[in-house]
Amino acid sequence: MQSLKDKHRAGKPNAFKVGLIFVSFIITAVLVLAISALFMVPDIKDVWVSLKSEEMIFSLKLSMWTGLLSTALVMVFALPIGYTLSRFQFIGKGFVKTIIDLPVAFPELVLGLCLLLLFGNTFVGNVFKSLGVEFVFTTQGIVAAQFFTALPYACRIMKSTFDYIDPRMEFVSRSLGYSMFETFMNVSLPLARNGILASTVIAFARCIGTFGTVLILAGGTYMKTEVLPITLYLNISYGNMGMALTSGIVLMVVSFAAIYVFERTEVSL
Amino acid sequence: MKRFLLVFTMIILLAGQCFAADLIVFSGAGLMKPMEEMKKNFESTHNVKVDVHYGGSGEIFAQVGAGQPCDVLIPGAEKYTKDALKNGWVIEDTMRPLVLHVPLIAVPKGNPAKIASLEDLARSDVRVSIGDPKAPAIGRVAKQILEKNKLWDKVTPNIKVYAPTVNQLLIYVALKQVDAAIIWGDLVTWAEGKGKLEVVRIPNEKNIIKTIPTAVCTNAPHKDLAMKFNAYIASAEGLKIWERWGFEPCNR
Repeated sequence: MQSLKDKHRAGKPNAFKVGLIFVSFIITAVLVLAISALFMVPDIKDVWVSLKSEEMIFSLKLSMWTGLLSTALVMVFALPIGYTLSRFQFIGKGFVKTIIDLPVAFPELVLGLCLLLLFGNTFVGNVFKSLGVEFVFTTQGIVAAQFFTALPYACRIMKSTFDYIDPRMEFVSRSLGYSMFETFMNVSLPLARNGILASTVIAFARCIGTFGTVLILAGGTYMKTEVLPITLYLNISYGNMGMALTSGIVLMVVSFAAIYVFERTEVSL
Repeated sequence: MKRFLLVFTMIILLAGQCFAADLIVFSGAGLMKPMEEMKKNFESTHNVKVDVHYGGSGEIFAQVGAGQPCDVLIPGAEKYTKDALKNGWVIEDTMRPLVLHVPLIAVPKGNPAKIASLEDLARSDVRVSIGDPKAPAIGRVAKQILEKNKLWDKVTPNIKVYAPTVNQLLIYVALKQVDAAIIWGDLVTWAEGKGKLEVVRIPNEKNIIKTIPTAVCTNAPHKDLAMKFNAYIASAEGLKIWERWGFEPCNR
């Protein structure tokens, strides 16, 4: 095995390898150009004025608090779900896993439509309404939309995090007389620290970036349910490129920060 | 390896081919149904590929302004074409009024809030939805209609959502999330036929009726074909298709 590897390393440049690296570089180059265009096209003054506009400040604030709230809610559910899927065997596990993963492959618009149907004039919607929670055309709706969009990503990361933690650590804890709950809190959770961080930043980035689900469920109304992606979309239709580009830049910065933190945690998706 | 490279190049080339069109049309999103039918007819008679790009009127207007290649511009209201003419983006001789765009009130099946007129939208128990006055043409028109009838201030508290796209208005009415929405008549004709919603007409003197115009762009990359398409959609044959989808021809 070793000798084969060495041969590869020492031998003449391999056309296969060079070809694949070339393809990767081409696409990376196009992406870098596309991303830098977002930063190069608008003039700085325009971006600065847009950033200080009432609409942008409203949208930024709304995005931040809905994003943080949704992320907190996502994590509250992703931790137990990730642990369950990683550790326990039970009837219907495959079903649960498939359904929870589904929104990853779902178009956001479809998810939004499903949620609108669910929370509309139905039994479920009315139960929530009687509890004082309205999801249709409201900021609560934004949180619900972001929650369901980001949840599957967080669950996946949490599951793979727990998969990589050696269950023997937990067995040792159990054999020393700790309960399952104590073991989870004192052994599994601290070991999953990196995974929790990774999952939180990815969930936050997904929440901030959710568009289709928010548009359909919360309506995407100017200065009411207007989060950053909606600001981008609305200002494209208003023909106000400065505002659109500025929200694009803000979203891009959030994603960069999220991916940077995610890469540092070295967790696999 | 060679075969792989070949396949790879083929895919790239094919992907490029798919986007090559002989004629590029920018159309208001609300005109999709008749536009698709006319596009198909035009394609088979002239043996060409027509690429129709749908968007909000403001959106496609801005795209033409941003220099995107476009042959024929058909927004949802005349204002955009007039503005485009002012900016020198379309050719004046090619401007033609096509059909009327009549706003009306759409209500869910069974009319749960018992809406009978524009004035009913001001009742405090009614949930109303209109398009964003700055985005789709219908949003601006809805606001103008309400202002014309001195109802805007009374109706605004009832407006639960300003939709950035026209299609959202339809979904919200059909799913009974709102009791009424002001929307183009042609958009609801097919939905009405399916029994999802009902319409309440607005009397002509209270309404603001728009005309949908077509025009060829000054910088049209395919000017000859653009002229033919422009003439076709305004011809008697074209108007018949418009009518089938609930639009009223202007010359009547």
